Amino acid sequence: MSNASARIAITGSGCVLPTGWGVERFWSAAREGRSAISALQSPLFHSERVVAFGHVADDDHQRSRQDVAQNLQRYCPPAVIWGVSAVRQALAEAGLEPGRDDVRFGLYCCQGGYTHPSLASYGELLHECQTETGADMQRLAKRVLQERALDPFLVLKSLSNGLLGVVSLALKLECESNAYMQGVAGNLAALREACAALQSGRVDAAIVVGAGSELDPLALAALAEAGVISTDASPSLRAFDCRGRGGIAGEGAAALVLRRADDLPAGPQTCLTALFAHPRLDSLNLPDKQVDLLISSATGDPHKDADLARTLARTGAAHITSSTALTGMLSGAPSLVDLILARQALQAQSIPPVSGLEQPVDAHLPFVIGGPRDAVLHDCLVINRDDNGFSAGYQLEFHAAD
Amino acid sequence: MSATRIVITGMGAVTGFGFEWQTLWEKMLGAEHCVRPWQPDDLQEASFAVRYAAPVDMSLLPEKLHSHAAWTLPLEKRSRFGWVAATQAVNDSGLQPEQLRGAAVLCASGAPQHMLADMLLTAAPDGAAPGWQHLMPRAGQVNADGSLRQSNDRLARVIADDLGCEGPVINISSACAGASQAIGNAFQMIRRGEVSVALAGGADSVLNLDTMAALYLLGAASGEQRWGADLCRPFDRDRSGLIAGEGGGFVVLESLEHALARGATPYAEVLGFGSSLDAYKVTAPQPEGRGAALAMQAALDDAGLRPQQIDLINAHGTSTPLNDVAETLAIKSVFAEHKHYQALAVSANKSQFGHLIAAAGAPECIVTALACLNDLVTPTVNLHDADEQCDLDYCAGQAVSRRVDYALSNSFGFGGLNTSLALGKYREHGQ
Repeated sequence: MSNASARIAITGSGCVLPTGWGVERFWSAAREGRSAISALQSPLFHSERVVAFGHVADDDHQRSRQDVAQNLQRYCPPAVIWGVSAVRQALAEAGLEPGRDDVRFGLYCCQGGYTHPSLASYGELLHECQTETGADMQRLAKRVLQERALDPFLVLKSLSNGLLGVVSLALKLECESNAYMQGVAGNLAALREACAALQSGRVDAAIVVGAGSELDPLALAALAEAGVISTDASPSLRAFDCRGRGGIAGEGAAALVLRRADDLPAGPQTCLTALFAHPRLDSLNLPDKQVDLLISSATGDPHKDADLARTLARTGAAHITSSTALTGMLSGAPSLVDLILARQALQAQSIPPVSGLEQPVDAHLPFVIGGPRDAVLHDCLVINRDDNGFSAGYQLEFHAAD
Repeated sequence: MSATRIVITGMGAVTGFGFEWQTLWEKMLGAEHCVRPWQPDDLQEASFAVRYAAPVDMSLLPEKLHSHAAWTLPLEKRSRFGWVAATQAVNDSGLQPEQLRGAAVLCASGAPQHMLADMLLTAAPDGAAPGWQHLMPRAGQVNADGSLRQSNDRLARVIADDLGCEGPVINISSACAGASQAIGNAFQMIRRGEVSVALAGGADSVLNLDTMAALYLLGAASGEQRWGADLCRPFDRDRSGLIAGEGGGFVVLESLEHALARGATPYAEVLGFGSSLDAYKVTAPQPEGRGAALAMQAALDDAGLRPQQIDLINAHGTSTPLNDVAETLAIKSVFAEHKHYQALAVSANKSQFGHLIAAAGAPECIVTALACLNDLVTPTVNLHDADEQCDLDYCAGQAVSRRVDYALSNSFGFGGLNTSLALGKYREHGQ
């Protein structure tokens, strides 16, 4: 059965984010405009120029660990554990359980971050092998190879498809799959492949999951070098605000379960109706029709956000909001998080404010400022932009129960 | 199902054999391999546990490629190889820049190189503990090979920018199945009508101290010295682990309609793609090859082929003790009817140009396409004494001339991901 126009419904969602464990916590923070960005904390490093980060709280990490078997955790960096937990949440909401239900699954993953193993894996060893003239590589190699001084699971922890492997193991999924890197482009590719697999009839339920963390000095240095995050000790990310001082990185995971709408029992549905992308934001093929709600990622840099705002103005959206200031900039699940926010807003008929926004870069745009705003919402457009300019758009429609 | 047919019209490969697919094919038919003694650049004496690899030999770089921008821009080695292979594939296809505008780029690349080199930036010159405070001031000092600012999607972006491709740019990250997955996804995108042209493949190099050390510690890379440079022995009783290679490979995929409209001559037709997950272990295949069998069956179903129609399997064939038995069992289960597995030619390429990790599926797809085109099967070299559990016709030792109408190309990856591409001889009037 192939039906390229089959409507695709989001039937489950889950997340582990700086705002907390689960969609309810994320939605509460969004409605309250409460940013979860906090002081950058790491036992390994500190910086006077990069001082803030969107951390997943330790309590939420511990709760997520309960979703991953002990023997699997040795292969997992924290983000992969959050990814498994997010998938379990999404499946629970969708009422699905692999192995129990006679449903053909597909699994589509996006992993963020630069997949460097953390400095923790090497730090002590590097220190030990340091000489006055630099690192003694001979000694380092001997310590690694002959004395097993390095975590033998290091390469697995840094696998860029580790999320795919561990989710499949945790849920015993033998299905069609793919893994993508990273950010918006990766999320778009995973969602596009999931929708195509559903529309082709190859799968009945598609799990799309993204996870990543930039809490590593190498990753943060790379982002700083690329001008993605602020290096002037900015404590907060101000999206679309003239007072913005740049981006702040974050971490977390999000998952969606997608199904063909026609396969579902009658009831309210949020459907993903279009996905589109372009290497340049200004060439993004935006829909002709005016949308009720626009959710857009932001950079925190007022000049870049003003450029972004010019594109947003073309949509003629009735309301605009953003999640970026809630969590920080996510490398693993940026679009998935915005799709979760969109779905929540459509279901609640309520729009959360842009956290911390006081002086918009464009006073004429309908940013939601202050508190949440109730509105009649039939559709939503999500626009995400990677720091290399690659941009994606997603359209959603809400269908109330007949 | 759409009736759109998808063909391969351009190919590019950078391997230890050289910088052109023609050289690769010629050397492989001659039963040569390019594995040789190797050790990480960082080490002064031959003390590294892994002693052999199949590195790219820069002395083989043809004059015409000396001026390629890949050698001068700040890129990781893997990206240089991939970019050159992609350029070759496009040139080979005869596509003009305006015909590439809407093309998709799908690229697989492995873990960043030089992780250790990056980390050494955190080390203080006076021997104090590594730390962030040392990294930030030195981040701008990364040399031309540095990976600090090079995320995994760098290669795909570079290729798309260079060729002016404005279609989807997708970075696949599925370990050793990556390039096969990229080609499979490109095939699906064209079949769905999303694009008419796609450039798909991958590039990788793990030939550095830290990644090879990690692969060795995992038990994947062979430290065997008994066989010298002949230690990569797929399906042999004395196989001992993978031998890493490096390089890149890309193919140009087009809808047949698009290819014929511009007068291109297809090398082969891509007919189907299948993927699966083992859900068994991160580092080991399911012992009976269940996941591999699911992927092959999915590819056959997708292509609308019966198992009895397959003539050749380009095996993943890593020369690791676990993979080769599991893959053999998988083949025997999929092709069990009438014991068709006895009639199959099975060929493993990794003993000729090493395991290209994330890129592996690309040159192997090229070799499979050429087998369909020429009715020639490359040999599995260094296979002298087959494992008793490996009892198929592996084309040991020398190339085989036989009819190849349909073939599968298998690639499996860490994490338990399996893929299989179904290819067929190009026929003007369909399959």
